[in-house]
Amino acid sequence: MSSPEPSTPPSPSRRLTIARAMAEAIGQEMDRDASVLVMGEDIAKLGGVFGTTTGLLDRFGSERVRDTPISETAFIGAAVGLAASGMRPVVELMFVDFFGVCMDAIYNLAAKQSYFSGGQVQCPMVLMTSVGGGYGDAGQHSQTLYATFGHLPGLKVVIPSNAHDAKGLMLAAIRDPNPVIFMYHKALQGMGWLGTVQRSITDVPECDYVVPLSKARTVREGRDITLVGLGLSLHHALDAAERLAREGISAEVIDLISIAPLDREAVRRSVGKTGRLLVVDDDYLSYGIGAEIIASVCEAGIPLRAAPVRIAHPDIPVPFTPVMEHFVLPDADKVTAAALTLMEKQTA
Amino acid sequence: MTDVVVPAGLWSETDEAAISSWFYAEGDMVSAGAVIAEIMVEKTSFELLAPASGSLHIAVAAEVPIAAGDVVGRIA
Repeated sequence: MSSPEPSTPPSPSRRLTIARAMAEAIGQEMDRDASVLVMGEDIAKLGGVFGTTTGLLDRFGSERVRDTPISETAFIGAAVGLAASGMRPVVELMFVDFFGVCMDAIYNLAAKQSYFSGGQVQCPMVLMTSVGGGYGDAGQHSQTLYATFGHLPGLKVVIPSNAHDAKGLMLAAIRDPNPVIFMYHKALQGMGWLGTVQRSITDVPECDYVVPLSKARTVREGRDITLVGLGLSLHHALDAAERLAREGISAEVIDLISIAPLDREAVRRSVGKTGRLLVVDDDYLSYGIGAEIIASVCEAGIPLRAAPVRIAHPDIPVPFTPVMEHFVLPDADKVTAAALTLMEKQTA
Repeated sequence: MTDVVVPAGLWSETDEAAISSWFYAEGDMVSAGAVIAEIMVEKTSFELLAPASGSLHIAVAAEVPIAAGDVVGRIA
């Protein structure tokens, strides 16, 4: 069957997982800009253990898509040098938990390059890295470490909650003149063995577009309480908001998107309206994103109708056994319960 | 009504395969040729394409073992 008319696809037109959206963005930018290249462990032939570079080796060849030895020290250090020499490397740190062996390149070299050279040498590199647990991979493969990276000046740190944002953030990250840590949550990649939140698989335009690296987004409007999440925890917040709605509570939900810089104004605007704040974070509790957001609201003198609350992973390594792991990880039940308690505690 | 069939000959029959994720939900409209799901086999993924345009019915959920030739959905 053939038709002279161009077929109009029914809506929704085309859906991608976050993994595929990341690979598409990198491929489009490699087409557009010959200085973009990709390096990492199992990113070439395998296409990335989390699917982030699928198809790139076949399209661009082994000069620009390079499997590296298992030495993050070497290839992430090399990326800083490449970036200083006019290339735009995208490197994958397979698990953020492995940052220890390459942190000097990240925070002492990449993050400070522009500052130390008076802007004469920049560092346009993207470090993409998987975060998060929930699938029994224990304490060295399950951390998120948002705050560890967000704490360090000179790094932009982002995490998408859906495929649309993943593509736009990746294009923005590669074009940024300074280092961007592009985190992606394993539970949102569309890899079966990790489970996938269906809501993260979204329509993705085939065209070129960017999502700003520094902006949060209100993804659900509400009046009574502000729920702030990022990556997977954004989905816990959205699930909780649906349940709260059935209890007659109108929750506003903010997708942080950017860990650094933090869009403090977006949170302040929302809490200024609702007077209540609950932050949902799957990083370690102390000195974390929840603390930073609550401080940002309190510093601005936003009137609160109840004490702000943060949910996070307790200050212990992520447990291995699923029973213990799921006991400590945030989920929609915990967010709903915390929100209900917060609503009851309101001051008269 | 068109069956969505797992393609044959892409991987060894002894390898365990499963749909890693459906990109569309039950009842969603899909267009012929669109990637509607991914099949994961030993950490390698394969695309499952819509054989026709129409409304998708999902017969086999993600993460359930499948084999080449299985009908995993229908498009009406």
